[in-house]
This record gives sequence, C-alpha cells and structure tokens, in this order.
Amino acid sequence: MTKQISLTIDNKKITAPEGANLLQVASENNIAIPHLCYHKKLSPTGACRLCIVKIENQRGLIASCTVQVSDGMKVTAFDGELEEARKYLLDWLLSEHDESHDNSYDDAFRELVHRYGLDKKENRLFPSIYKELGYPTDESSPVLSYDAAKCIKCFRCIKGCDEVQGKNVLSFTNRGIISYIIGGFDNWGESECDGCGECIQLCPTGAIVEKPHRSAINLLNGIQKVRTTCPYCGVGCQLELFVQDGKIVRSNGVEGVSPNDGRLCVKGRFGYDYVHSPERLTKPLIKKGGKFVESSWDEALDLVARKFSEIKEKYGRKALAGYASAKTTNEDNYLFMKLVRKVFGNNNVDYCTRLCHASTVTAMLRSLGDGAGSNSIEDYAGSDCILVTGNNMIETHPVTATFVKYAVQRKGAKVIIIDPKWTPLVKDAHIWLQPKLGTDVALLNGMLRVIISEDLIDREFITKRVDGGLQAFERLKALTGKYTPEYVKAITGVPAHLMTEAARVYARAGSPLIATGMGYSQQVTGTHNVFCLINMMLITGQVGRRGAGLNPPRGQNNVQGVSDVGASPFTYPGYIPVEDEENLRHIARIWDVPFESLDSKKGLSTIEIMQAAYEGSVKGMYIMGENPMLTDPNLNHTEEAIKRLDFLVVQDIFHTDTTPFADVILPATAFAESEGTYVNSDRRVLRVRKAVDPPGQARQDWEIITEIARRMGSPLGNYRNESDIWDEIARTAPIFAGISYDRLKDQGIQWPCPDKDHPGTDTLFLEQFNTPNGLGKLHPVDYAEQNEQADETYPFILNTGRILYQYHSSTMSRRNKALTDFANQAYVLMNPGDAERHGFTQGQKLRIASRRGLIEPIAVKISNEVLPGELFMPFHYPEAPVNRLTRDEMDPYSKIAPFKLSAVNASPYKG
Amino acid sequence: MTNPLQLMCTQQIIEQFAPEQHNLLNILHALQDNHPQNYLTEQALDDTARYLGLPKSSVYGVATYYTMFSLVPRGRYIVRVCTSVVCELHKAGRVIGSLENMLGITTGETTPDGMFTLELSECLGQCQDAPSVMVNEKVYNNLDDNRLAEIIHQIRGSQKTANR
Amino acid sequence: MIQETRRVLKNIGKINPESIDDAIRAGAYDGLKKALLVQPADVINELMGADLHGRGGAGFPAGMKQKFVSESCMHCPQRYVVVNADEGEPGTFKDRIIMEQDPHLYLEGTIIAAYAVQASKGFIYIRGEYHDSIRKTRVAIKDAYKKGLLGKNILGSGFDCDIEVKLGAGSYLCGEELTMLESLEGKRGNPRIKPPFPAEKGAFGLPTLVNNVETLANIPFIIAHGKAEFRKLGTEGSPGTKIFTISGRVNRAGHYEVPMGVTLQELIHLAGGMSEGKPFKAALLGGAAGTFVDASMLEEQMSYDNLKKKGATLGSGAVIIFAEGDPVVEALHNCLRFFRHESCGKCVPCRTGTAQLVKSAEQLRNGHPDKKALLEQMIRESTIMAATSLCPLGQSPVLPLKSAASYFSRELTEIK
Repeated sequence: MTKQISLTIDNKKITAPEGANLLQVASENNIAIPHLCYHKKLSPTGACRLCIVKIENQRGLIASCTVQVSDGMKVTAFDGELEEARKYLLDWLLSEHDESHDNSYDDAFRELVHRYGLDKKENRLFPSIYKELGYPTDESSPVLSYDAAKCIKCFRCIKGCDEVQGKNVLSFTNRGIISYIIGGFDNWGESECDGCGECIQLCPTGAIVEKPHRSAINLLNGIQKVRTTCPYCGVGCQLELFVQDGKIVRSNGVEGVSPNDGRLCVKGRFGYDYVHSPERLTKPLIKKGGKFVESSWDEALDLVARKFSEIKEKYGRKALAGYASAKTTNEDNYLFMKLVRKVFGNNNVDYCTRLCHASTVTAMLRSLGDGAGSNSIEDYAGSDCILVTGNNMIETHPVTATFVKYAVQRKGAKVIIIDPKWTPLVKDAHIWLQPKLGTDVALLNGMLRVIISEDLIDREFITKRVDGGLQAFERLKALTGKYTPEYVKAITGVPAHLMTEAARVYARAGSPLIATGMGYSQQVTGTHNVFCLINMMLITGQVGRRGAGLNPPRGQNNVQGVSDVGASPFTYPGYIPVEDEENLRHIARIWDVPFESLDSKKGLSTIEIMQAAYEGSVKGMYIMGENPMLTDPNLNHTEEAIKRLDFLVVQDIFHTDTTPFADVILPATAFAESEGTYVNSDRRVLRVRKAVDPPGQARQDWEIITEIARRMGSPLGNYRNESDIWDEIARTAPIFAGISYDRLKDQGIQWPCPDKDHPGTDTLFLEQFNTPNGLGKLHPVDYAEQNEQADETYPFILNTGRILYQYHSSTMSRRNKALTDFANQAYVLMNPGDAERHGFTQGQKLRIASRRGLIEPIAVKISNEVLPGELFMPFHYPEAPVNRLTRDEMDPYSKIAPFKLSAVNASPYKG
Repeated sequence: MTNPLQLMCTQQIIEQFAPEQHNLLNILHALQDNHPQNYLTEQALDDTARYLGLPKSSVYGVATYYTMFSLVPRGRYIVRVCTSVVCELHKAGRVIGSLENMLGITTGETTPDGMFTLELSECLGQCQDAPSVMVNEKVYNNLDDNRLAEIIHQIRGSQKTANR
Repeated sequence: MIQETRRVLKNIGKINPESIDDAIRAGAYDGLKKALLVQPADVINELMGADLHGRGGAGFPAGMKQKFVSESCMHCPQRYVVVNADEGEPGTFKDRIIMEQDPHLYLEGTIIAAYAVQASKGFIYIRGEYHDSIRKTRVAIKDAYKKGLLGKNILGSGFDCDIEVKLGAGSYLCGEELTMLESLEGKRGNPRIKPPFPAEKGAFGLPTLVNNVETLANIPFIIAHGKAEFRKLGTEGSPGTKIFTISGRVNRAGHYEVPMGVTLQELIHLAGGMSEGKPFKAALLGGAAGTFVDASMLEEQMSYDNLKKKGATLGSGAVIIFAEGDPVVEALHNCLRFFRHESCGKCVPCRTGTAQLVKSAEQLRNGHPDKKALLEQMIRESTIMAATSLCPLGQSPVLPLKSAASYFSRELTEIK
C-alpha cells in the first residue's frame, strides 16, 4: 500500500497517495487546473506549461504535471499571476494556430480559449502568425490527416504511439516555431504507422483526425454514443461507437476499463464499414432451380423447419449437425447449442475452435483442468519474461501486444519467441528461436532437459501441486534425457546456446507468461506441443500465482464464449462433459425435457462433421456465421462433402464462399446491431450493445434459432430478451453463476464467478488446478516426425497465418476501405536463397501446388522472414484459398488440423 | 573525386559505428561529409534507421533539428557567414551582400556549377577577428571584400587544379 | 596596471597541441598522477575546498556537483562524465582556445573528474562547427590511450576510463546540460524535465557529471598545487581565474585570463582600449543570454557574486563592447532573433514567445507609434516567458531585454 499523505491546493485539504502526480490529484479532486499536453496514460511532458502552480518554499512557477505530491505540500493553483500567465500561454498558442473548425472533433484547446475569454479577438495581445509559418498538411496516410496549423505540439500523439502502443512511429521535424509532427520521412503514408489511431484519440485539438466518415460527423448535431465490444479478435476491446443518422461514424477505445484502457488497433478503430455495406444480406433467400430467390421469413423458416424435421425422421437424429459461430454472442450460441441438443437431439455441434485452439484447450484441460488462459491480458505489462510460441501477436492480437511491448520497452522484460517465421515482435525479443516447422516438441524437450540438468526446477511445487510428484517428474526426466543440445539442433536447426539461454531465462523469471498461438496449436502434434509447454511450466513452478501461467490469445471475438456456453460436441456449458449424468439431469430440468432425450454420447467435431457429410451419415447442416469453404482444411474435400448434403442452411451477414452451397440463406445481424455478451481471451464476459438497426429484415441469430425450434415443434423457451437467455446460461454453467447483465454494465467480469458477490477471477490455479484431484498433470511426450515431409516433388513446407489488416475469411475486413487500403493482396513469402535457386523474381506470379490442390496465380514476396525451404501464405483471401493446399489429417486428441504444415511445390504461373 | 572517403558506400560508413542510437549524430555527420553534395540522401537516412533499429521519423527528426545537416543537395563548398551580434557589429551584413554578388546567388542557394552554397550561421566563436565565415571546415576571419574575393578565387582555382 | 595571469592558458602558444610529449613536458597529467594516489573522495574534497565554480555560465560549485554524482545511485551499473564542449554562446570562445591549443589540459581534468566520481566512461560533446577542436581532441585522446592515461588500469591505479568524442550538429540549446544528454543519446535537442538532475539520471538514465571545458581545465591546477594555491587569485566568493573573451569595439579583441574580480574598465584596457578611440557606450556581458550594462558599470568587479548583486551576469565570460553610435536596438534584435532560431519548440512560451518577440523587435527597430508601450509589453512577455518556460532558453530573452531597457530606454523608445 502506498502511504497516504495530505496536501492543500488553494487551501482545500486533500489526501492522496504519496508520489502521485499533482495535476492528476488536483483533477481527481475537481480542481480543474488547465492543461493540454498532460494525459494520465502518458509520462509528463511539460510542454504546454498551462498547469503551472506555486508551491510553498519552492522557487517560481512549476508545471504541476511534473510534480509528485508529498506530505504537507501547499499548492496555489489559481491566483492573479498564474491566471495571467495562463492567458499569455493560450494567447501565444492562438497566434500560431488555425482556428477554423468543422465540429467533427472535440477541441480541448478551443474550450480553454473560451474559458479565458480569448475567443474574443479584442482580448488577445498577439497577432496571428500561423500563415507565415508555412505549416503543411499530411494526407498520405490511408486513415488519418495531419494539419500542422491545428497542432499545438503537445507530444501526446508521439507519446501515445511510443508509450501506449509501443510503436514509436512519430517524431517532430524542424525546430522551434516551424516544428511539426511527422511519420516516416515527413510522409505518414510511407511510415511504419499501422493505422491504430491512438494518436487521433489522444489529440486534444483537430490536428490529427481520422479520414473515414469524418465529413459525416457533426458533434453539435445529436451524436449518440454506444459502448460495446470489438467484433474482431479475442482481446475484447471496449469500443465507444459514435452513431449519427443511424450510421456508425466513429469508433473510439474506452479509457479506464480493461482490457484495452482506450487502446485499439486498426481493425477496431476503422473496421466498422462492413456493417453498412450494401452487400449485406437483408432478406431470406431460398435456392429455387439453382438460383437464390428472396423470400419471406415465414416461407424460409417453415422450409428450414420442415427439411430438418424430415431428415431427422428419415435418417435418425444423428443425421443433423450444426456449426456454431465464434462471431456471434454467447446468447446466440447457447440457443444454437440448445437447438442441436434439444431439437436435433444429438451433440453434433462444433465450430471453428476445432480449427484454432482445440489442441491447446485439450492439453490444458487434461493437464490443468481448464482450457482458458490463466491470467489477465494486462498482466503482460508486469511480466519479466514472456515466452511467445507460434504467436504473431502484434498482427493477430495487436492490443495484447501493446502490453507485452510495454513490459519489454519500459520495464526491461525479456521476450523469447519460438517461431520459424519472423514476426514484428522479433524486434523486441531477447531471443528468437527459429525451429523448422513441426519440430517444436523436440525443441521444448531440449529446453526441459536444460532446466532439469541445471536444476532450475521447483521441487516444492512439483511435490505439492503435480500429480505423482517427483515420481512423475522422474518419468519426464527420463524421457527428455536424450534431447541433448546437439540432438535438438539436428532436428530443429536451433543453435544450442540460444535454446539453453531461453530455457534459463524462462525458468529463472519471476513472473513468466506463456502466450501460445496457432503456430503451436494448428499441427498434428498440437496437443503434444502444448503438453510440453505445460510440462515446462509445471516443473519450474511458473504457474499458480499472479502474473505467471499459460495463455492462448483467442483469435475471434467470442471463440472463448462459444465453448464456455457449451457449443461443443464434448461438453455442456461450463465445460461439463456430455457424459456427466448428474449434469444432464440438471440441464434437463432447466430445459424442461426428459433426461433420456438428451444424448449422452460425444457428438461429431468440426472436421468429423464434414467427413460424415462426405460419407453420407450427416444429411442436414445448419451453419451459423462460419465459412468452412474458406477456413476448413483440404477444401476440395470439404466442397465435395458440402455438396453431398441433402439440406444446408447458412446464416450470415454476407454471401460467403459457403453460401453458394446453401439451400436457404438467412440474414443475421452484425455486432453493432446485436445485444448480448462475448467472452474474451482472458475469460472476461463483456457486453455487446445495439448501436444501429439491422439492414432490411435481418434478425439477430437467437431470434432466428428460436423460430426454427418453434416451427420444428420444440420451442426453446420464452425469452423476452438477451438478459433472459444469459440468466439461463448462468444457471447451466457454474463458472457464470454469479454474473448478470446488471453487473456487466460498466466493466466485464472474469469467470469463474460462482456467486453474485464474487468479483471474478483474474488468475486461475492460485490454490489448485481444476482437475478432479486438484493437481497438475505432466504428459511426457516424444518428438515424432511429421507424416507429411518435403520431398523431391514437393520441396517446400508451407506455413499459413494471419496479417494485421485482414481478419479470418475477410468477409468483414475486406469491406472496409481503410483496411484494404493498407493490405488487399494475397502473396506467398519465400526465402531469398530459394527464390534465387528457382529463378523467381520479386512479385512474380507463381503456381503453388500440394498433393491436394493448387493455387494460381499468386505473387511471390521474397523475404528472409521465412527460413530456407519454408513458405508462408496468409489464409484470408478467397482468390488465393490456401486451404486448397492444406491437410485434414488430425491431431488425435483435439481433432485439430495441421494448417501450419503442408508439403508444396512452386513453379512459374503460365497464364 | 578528391576525397577517398567518397568511394565508400553508405553501408560501409554506417558500419564503422556500433548500432546504437547514441551514434546517430556521428553517423549523420559521416554520411553527409562523405557525400560530394554535402547532404543526407533519403537512402542514407533509411539505411541509418534500419541499422540503428530506429523509426524513420526519429532519424528524420534529428536530421532536420540540427542546422548542420541538410536534406537537399548543396554545393561542394558550404560558405557559412557568421551572423552573431559581434560579427553583425563588424558588418556581417555586408559580407553576406558581397558573397551574394560574387557568387551570383542569394543566401540559401547553390551556385549553378554546384561549387558553393551560401548559408548563415550562429556565432562561430571567432569573435576576436570578426567578421568570419567558415568554408567547409576552414574558418576565415577579418573579412573585407578583397579578402572574400581572394578566398573564393583561391577555392575555385584549387578545384580547377584538382579536376585537371 | 592589470596584467594577464595565465594559469589555465599557461601553455597557450608554447606547446604543440598535437604533441602529448610537449604537453607532458609542460606538466600535463601531473595532477592526474597525484589524484590517482588518493581516494576519489579526497579529490572531491580538494575541489570543494578550492570552491571552483562552474565556468560554463551558471557558476554552480564544481566540487558539490561531483559529490552529488559520486553519492548518487550506488547500485547503478555505470556512471558517466560528460564534457560540455558545445560552446555556442555568442561572443564566447574560451573553450575553443583550450581545445585547440592545449587539449591535454582539459582531457586531464576530465580523467580526474571521472576518477573522482568513479565514472568509467566519458563523452566529450563538442560543437559540430569546431572542426579544429574536434580533430585535436581526438588526437589527444588517441595519444592518451597510447600512454596508458586512458583505458584499462590507468597508470597502474586500477581505475578504468574510456572517453569518446560526440559531435553536436548546430544547436545552441544542446549546450544546456539536460538537452545535451538528449543529443548525446542521439535524439532531438529537446530539454528534459528537471528534476531529475544529471547527477541522479543523466546520460542513458544513469548518474552523470556534466562539466564545462574551462571548469575541467582548472582541475589539474587545483590537484597539482592544492586548493590554497588556487584560492590565492580571485575574490573570496569567486576564487581563481576566469577566461574572458572580449570582442566588439576594442583594439585587441581576444581571450584574457585574469583573476576573478577585475573591473570591466581593466578588461577593456587589457584588450587595447576602445577601437578608433571611440567612447564606450555599452557592454553585453555573458552573450545573448546575458545582460547589457552601460558606463556606470565600468568600475564594477567582474565576479559571479558581484555582478549578480548588480543585476548583471558574468555568464560564460563573453564581453562584447559597443561604442557610441552602435545602436542597442540592433544588438537586441540580433539576440532575440538568435533565441527564435535556437528555440527547440517544445514548450509554448519559448516557441511562440521568441517568435513574437522578434516581431516586436522589428517594430522597435523599424517604427511603431508607441515604442514605450511596446518595450514595456516586450518586457512583460519575456518576464512571463522566464516564469513559465521549461528550460533556460525561454528564460533568457528577459535578460538582454530588461537590461537594455533599464540602461537605454530613451534610445530604444525614441521615435525615428
């Protein structure tokens, strides 16, 4: 606890923590000392000088933003001298300032000018000189404009970019009265700026303003502000949407709440155009004679209900299956799951988690008893060692990455990266281990061996908290014995000294966090990879306290929540296995159905559903907000499977690669038209709120689902609204029992939250693991060669992944001008040595083929971001559907597919 | 080519320094001095930023903050007239006028033959013999029109010899 | 009659500045040898006893500064010495003379200072325009390494110290110690917020001693001959000698080392008297960030304490002499233009205030209906600038402005 001290400001007695910022203390006590350059998220700058005060026994006027309060301090914040000086300061600023204003932005400077009566020209001393100064504008960025004549040079943009976002892209150019802000070489558009817009949000005047939709904004004219949750990745950033004339015109980060505290990335800030796209689905469509024809909701819903009922009758209840959606709310998914279980009568419900973190979750569930991240996103900021495995977080979880960069750049934390491909975080890394694709188990066993042989283990932790204690540890020790640095180097290519250093840094750290991503999970050895991470974490005791643990950042806004609410073939809400009879009885009571009617056998998982469709045992499918025709592995096989279905319903907001195969397409609402909740990567239940009306006749998913159930003769319940649905979720899932919409009003709550007085859980596994006996379990696993290897015909190993500016199957992201202005082209990365050997030149169009399919034409990007012999392609682009090349061989435990490893060849495209 | 350093490429120059930010000013000096037109090319700034792991804007911001650096091509000889209060007392204004006449350019410009750029400078610390100019690294003091003409003539002559 | 007393400048013109052997024959590094035989604290005590004031302009006691640095952050991995050789105050060239003509002297002072505060790394930040100083300092450093006076285990003492030269590139403000540290780190010359002072968080966030060239050049004498000997010259409050650089309307402008406490009149005499026999009108003491005085000050002692009492400043030791007929408004305008050019732009009052003052000065020079009111307004502005600016630059314009107005208000405000 920081010591509380007392001070006086203008004779008002104030108590504050010792060392707190004086200006901040004043403002928290409603003493409005004028200021422009200070922002509580940033280090003090002392540039505007407006916050000057007098302090007894100190000389002169002192900028209060640079003062730490101490006991007995006597501060004068307002007197004639100070106010005159402030008036001068504002007057000076005005003289170099262009005062024109389009009312599209808040202007703290203009407010102060008004407060000091300087809006009246006769009250000013100084002649305006800004026109003589030749201040330029910079319009080169796709997302923002900068006008030096409206800039007060407060440094907030520069510091926000550096201190908050960890990017440090901006600077001043020139000096003195003609200085101004620049990106790059005085060209924002060609700078390293990635468009997150932190600078826009921090700009106190209109010097840096966004480009998209600004002309539509008039803050004097009835702007409605709606707080909600970002629809992109799983960080769960809190947004404030500005709505004018029924349209979203701006998206700001919400300050002062977790997880983002005002931060956003380019997608969160500029990725909302798609909501108002003219391409949105607005009416139900029924395929008639091979063509889609608009229909009424009644006709479409009746048809869907009749067809599903017929299939169930004809082929039995196992012939139906559904894909739930990581995009839609918990409430939507809960009812989707309820439809499959209660109305279809089976457990064939799954979703894209099977394609992303299923292996991580499986390994974590088996070893630790919970499949979710053990810590909070903001904990990264206080960590001293962050082990990043197969996780390009700067591009995939940009806001999480800001906390990691903060730890490195401001606190001296060490980042260890394990990734065959370069990622932007490498710039901040202490060590970058670059194993060959598919060799992670060998590398981690090598690190385990180092830790064991150098006695960096935590015996007490192993004894107390690991199942089997030191005996279990001995088995791990025996297995890892052969992974000598030389042996590991032969398999992985990683130099011994780097591997050794990485192992030491991790094992010795005070609060190490592991952030594991798709690079680890999307492999046939996905579960094994994570078992190895957990083995390392358990024997070093680097879990079970605040700021230490294992965290898989989730790729989609609600991928966590969908599993949490039970849209899984294996578990009911709250991760209770479908075989759990007691739970089934509990559920049956809540759902008011006979216990026997609930299927107690595991259902089919995502890829198994497609295989069953291919084989003919699944005949009807209901796909909600998923696009398997781009995102499933081995697409040629998926396509055939989908074609073999008797009846397919796709519910979405756009036509996708999958909708052409549907019999009925149902138009759903986008995030800004929906009410409900998401769960983010650190288990935080966050509210989603309706900001605008849906287009045409589009309906929120859960409303469509309940209609289908009703028409199939088995209503799901009488829900007045989303809150009613949530309350039912909370009754079915003990982890949510204490959470209600009332409690979510201002901020999210992290599960488990067992009762209404429980504050939520920021860190898992503090006292025990969630396994039946409360102990963590070691899973010693051996390295095994991949079935798919490069050979003469297919000499390259292809890796796939994401980029910052696109998202998933790009149905949303590509319908945003700002995002496509940054990146809109598929490419394949190739090492310069390989390109030279094959005679490929930068940008040349290639044909990439695997044993399963081919892609052409695709431009080659020659870069040492990939190792020799390895290629990389982003998976977002429908015109270059990389999953035509990937395999549907599965990880035996989690049924995840190995998107990260396919043998391919490359040849010139012959148009 | 009179200066053997001019044969060095940007990368070679940069790599004489450790890749640490505190070397930035020394690197920019070395790059500018190496360029026959006495300036920092965008390529040079780019290479420097990459070598030091700095954002482009930091390097550009530094290069434009300090008056000795130029981002536009200049003459082979930079003539910098001291305009301090002392030199002004000793008619620095006249020195500027004379040089403008002799070189046929105004302050800030470069002669068409690429020989001279005329610039102003803050105090050169030569006040004992004001007025002063600095031509590249050499200081000339106690200037009057004759002395200025002599200096310019001498430099032109030495260049002709060197070019022969 | 007053004579020069060359202590710091004793070797000027007598040795080849590029020969370390010459320098050593003339006594260079005797002070260092002596210092290395005693404890670092003893060196600091000797300096404190000598009461050497910093010669850069601010006049802070040098020994005290070393004491602060030596006692700061005992767990820090590194401490630095930074030599402020960014001499840029108009009219000042004392450091240049030392660097060009006896570089080993201040290098020796630097190594002693490094030893005193136990800094194993030093930087000499030299003005980019001082090509000769840069070259000769580099030669001196190279030769010092060869003689074992720098590097590992200096003269067998177990003390290690490396020194390298950093170049400025045209910024007066970088002569301000905190701004210099920013520049030294490869950044724009924006001043840092004070506190923390360099003794706490200096270069690269670590404890740093920043000293001016002339200050360091005084140290070898103090160590070699003792504090008492040092104090034999100068005044009680300002002991030692000071190098004045006299320029303007005198016959022999140049550098003169004299005991603290000589009068302005004596300095003019040393410099050969007024040129062309013109009557004395004014002196600008301390450069642009200095103060104007008129003939009433000719008999005043030139020392830190006395000038301060009279509302004037000694500053860097620049003395610029004006004769009858030299318009004060031109000099004033030149100073204000200089400040505008050198303002970094970080804080509002300095950035915009210097620009507005130049505009006003142009009116003062070229015509204004009410010059008296204009001048008063300028003083008001510069006073508020001084009160609100972040660093010394914005606090400076008030000095020449107010002093010029107090001595020459009639001339400045008369309508032409």
